Amino acid sequence: MKKTLGNIYVLIILLFLYMPILTLIVLSFNDAKSMSVWTGFSLHWYQELFQSRLMMGAVVNTFSIAILAALIATVIGTMGVLGMAAMKQRQENVLMGLNNIPMLNADIVTGIALMLFFLMVRWPRGYMSILFAHTVFCIPYVILSVKPRLNKNTDKLFEAALDLGASERYAFRKIVLPELRPGIMSGFLLSFTMSVDDFIITYFTRGAGINTISTLIYSEVKIGIRPSLFALSTIVFVVALVVLITVNLRQSRQDRAAA
Amino acid sequence: MIAKKRFAAPFIVWIIAGTVIPLASIAYYGFSSRDGGFTFSNITAMFQHDHMQALGLSLLLAVISTIICLLLAFPMAMVLRDSKYGKQGFLIFVIILPMWMNFLLRTMAWQVLLERQGVINGLLAAVGLPRQEMMNTPGAIVLGMVYDFLPFMILPIYNTVSKIDNHLIEAAYDLGASKAMTFAKVVLPLSVPGIVSGITMVFIPALTTFVISNMLGGGKINLIGNIIEQEFTVNSNWYLGSGLSLVMMVFIILSMVLLQKFDKTGGANLI
Amino acid sequence: MSELIRLEHIVKSFDDTVVLNGIDLSVAENEFVTLLGPSGCGKTTTLRIIGGFEKPDEGRVYFDGKDITDLPANQRHLNTVFQNYALFPHMSVGENIAFGLRVKNKSEQYIKDKIKYALKLVNLDGFENRKIDQMSGGQQQRIAMARAIVNEPRVLLLDEPLGALDLKLRQEMQYELVRLKKELGITFLYITHDQEEALTMSDKVVVMNEGYIQQEGTPEQIYDEPVNAFVADFIGDSNILPGQMVDEKVVRINGIDYPCIDGTEQGFPPRRKVDVVIRPEDIDIMPYGQGQFNGTIISKLFIGVHYEMLVQSENGKVEWLLQNYDQHEVGEKIGMKVDPENIQIMHKPKSEAESAMEIDI
Repeated sequence: MKKTLGNIYVLIILLFLYMPILTLIVLSFNDAKSMSVWTGFSLHWYQELFQSRLMMGAVVNTFSIAILAALIATVIGTMGVLGMAAMKQRQENVLMGLNNIPMLNADIVTGIALMLFFLMVRWPRGYMSILFAHTVFCIPYVILSVKPRLNKNTDKLFEAALDLGASERYAFRKIVLPELRPGIMSGFLLSFTMSVDDFIITYFTRGAGINTISTLIYSEVKIGIRPSLFALSTIVFVVALVVLITVNLRQSRQDRAAA
Repeated sequence: MIAKKRFAAPFIVWIIAGTVIPLASIAYYGFSSRDGGFTFSNITAMFQHDHMQALGLSLLLAVISTIICLLLAFPMAMVLRDSKYGKQGFLIFVIILPMWMNFLLRTMAWQVLLERQGVINGLLAAVGLPRQEMMNTPGAIVLGMVYDFLPFMILPIYNTVSKIDNHLIEAAYDLGASKAMTFAKVVLPLSVPGIVSGITMVFIPALTTFVISNMLGGGKINLIGNIIEQEFTVNSNWYLGSGLSLVMMVFIILSMVLLQKFDKTGGANLI
Repeated sequence: MSELIRLEHIVKSFDDTVVLNGIDLSVAENEFVTLLGPSGCGKTTTLRIIGGFEKPDEGRVYFDGKDITDLPANQRHLNTVFQNYALFPHMSVGENIAFGLRVKNKSEQYIKDKIKYALKLVNLDGFENRKIDQMSGGQQQRIAMARAIVNEPRVLLLDEPLGALDLKLRQEMQYELVRLKKELGITFLYITHDQEEALTMSDKVVVMNEGYIQQEGTPEQIYDEPVNAFVADFIGDSNILPGQMVDEKVVRINGIDYPCIDGTEQGFPPRRKVDVVIRPEDIDIMPYGQGQFNGTIISKLFIGVHYEMLVQSENGKVEWLLQNYDQHEVGEKIGMKVDPENIQIMHKPKSEAESAMEIDI
């Protein structure tokens, strides 16, 4: 009885979460532009999407910014974790406090703060300003993923390597880096997804004439929803589905290998 | 020691250029008038009628959406906790998946559903019922907020309740507690950390959003986020925008302090 | 035996807390030396200074006559078996053992032979391709040994290597360690807080407390002739009582005079106040009234080989700890006697440095 109730509840929540997405997917194949009348199956909204030079440019921008921002954030964040380990507790606390600000602060505040910064230092807003802004909000995630991997145990392993005659550089490459690798990887992936997903900070730090997928959607929705956006939604959904399934399968395969 | 302090140099540069100076510049503009003098007028501007109304509405809608999310998420987390192992992984997956879709597209989906010429009204018309005005209402905005942020409430709560040792619950039964008592005295206090981070992750974006209100409120309903956004993008009045942002930040900090206190007392004042 | 390691007046503090208070220590070639003491006594810091992981604030470290105080860890001819082993989790057993040899650019054939040899030595033949997390605690301990000894160090530093193992395994490994040491013919510097480990394996035991060396000597010396109450209490169970020398080689405890073997010659002239230690197994039980003093048995525990009893003495109302092979009943009145050579007279702490040696457990 309790079980059935629970299952029904889960079903309702899932329906709530997926009904809007499924609606978009269905409408993306609708021949007419109408949101309420089905007039037949068609792929021409997909065609329109792929022929839109604006959209393709936004896709390129989104992913190139995400990859670069994640890379830069991963390098700076990992180095930051290593540097903080050598600091006094108080210095580290100050840096960690500042590091947490972009994560806790509202995105709109981070966005306008960076916008004012770019205006003040006369940094022309465009691709580079978006990239910098993205590294700013990605670094905290890298720090938070890498920091727990660097602990007393890592110190011990490093010492063990020195004890066996390794140089510091060799010990770092062969022992410390492999220990940090899972944290570095998840920091990179987290940064990448946060960057792809961001709208608000990009919105305030981009200049005219440059769009990411998010900002393009926003400006198009303001003009009026076109079914090509439904096609985009379907593609995004399918990509997310495939990526998540692959990640999950790999994870469970690793778990099984470890067991 | 593996580490050398100088490794942190770029990180410190980034923190200064990306966090400290930008936040300082908000403070600078917030307390400056257009001619460069010091002023409180950008701060006190919050007391103007339409600003107060927007702030009040923002707080109201954010609180309502947070409560709805909490009420929907807690049972979900408990069901997840009790469900069988493999099924659990699948359900988590299903909850995470929508989070990976761009939230503008997710919000747009509700526009498609709710609009006058939208899907729901289409269905209503098909069965001969009158069309409803659902868009551009505070209700639509709350719906959008709940839809966008619900997974952010479910996951942290699930994370803490799933770690509650079953022995604790059995111990409570063993000591004669009823189910309701066990829930109130054992499960709920132990899930406070998850509830707190869930509330943070829902309340702050809900309070500061301008996107959801723009898309589902049709530009007719102004939240504090919309006012600030317009000062920056439409009116180019960074001074006023910064001042209002500072006031909004006070509300964010206040809510976080309150939540921290709540977390530390272990939710003692929850029951 | 020639001296291999010498510490000269080592002082070390962390954040204003003095951890080592001027340690002088000499370790001879081929010796099995154990640093013994409670946690926080400075034994691990001493080992880390010898290993090169900490720099002393004062004092010098000599290895084979050369000053190595400033030599980094990776250039010292000694290896460490770490507490909790510090095995590299992402490498196989074989790769772990090979690590030190790869660093030194040894040939692959040499490395292969060495791994085989080392695994045989620690009774883990054929385990080279296993993952670290597939090995039990005892096996990990052996791998840590193997990883250190393939580098042919002249000294092996062992930091509580048996601390994470259960009792039975720990006893087995003690024999194993002594055997290994004999086979390798190298110096062992061993750290533990377990007095039994220290006494069974070592040639020399160094008892430490609060940054001072309390006593150095063979296990027998440490056990039979503790120099102060701390050592007596830390090594084995004992009765430690205040007393006073009343005559040449006579000590008064609780109003009763006992003949002993220490006198002015050993630094205990008459009238001197002293501490006295009497081991529980050294108190003989006699029929009531026939010993040096009488008492009533107030509790009895059977602990395997012998009985352990608490006896309330009639004079001074002191509780004595006794160990005896014979069965006696609680409530029984008995007489007791201690032979003169079993009464160990010790100085009371007087200087500030010595007060650190007071019982503090």
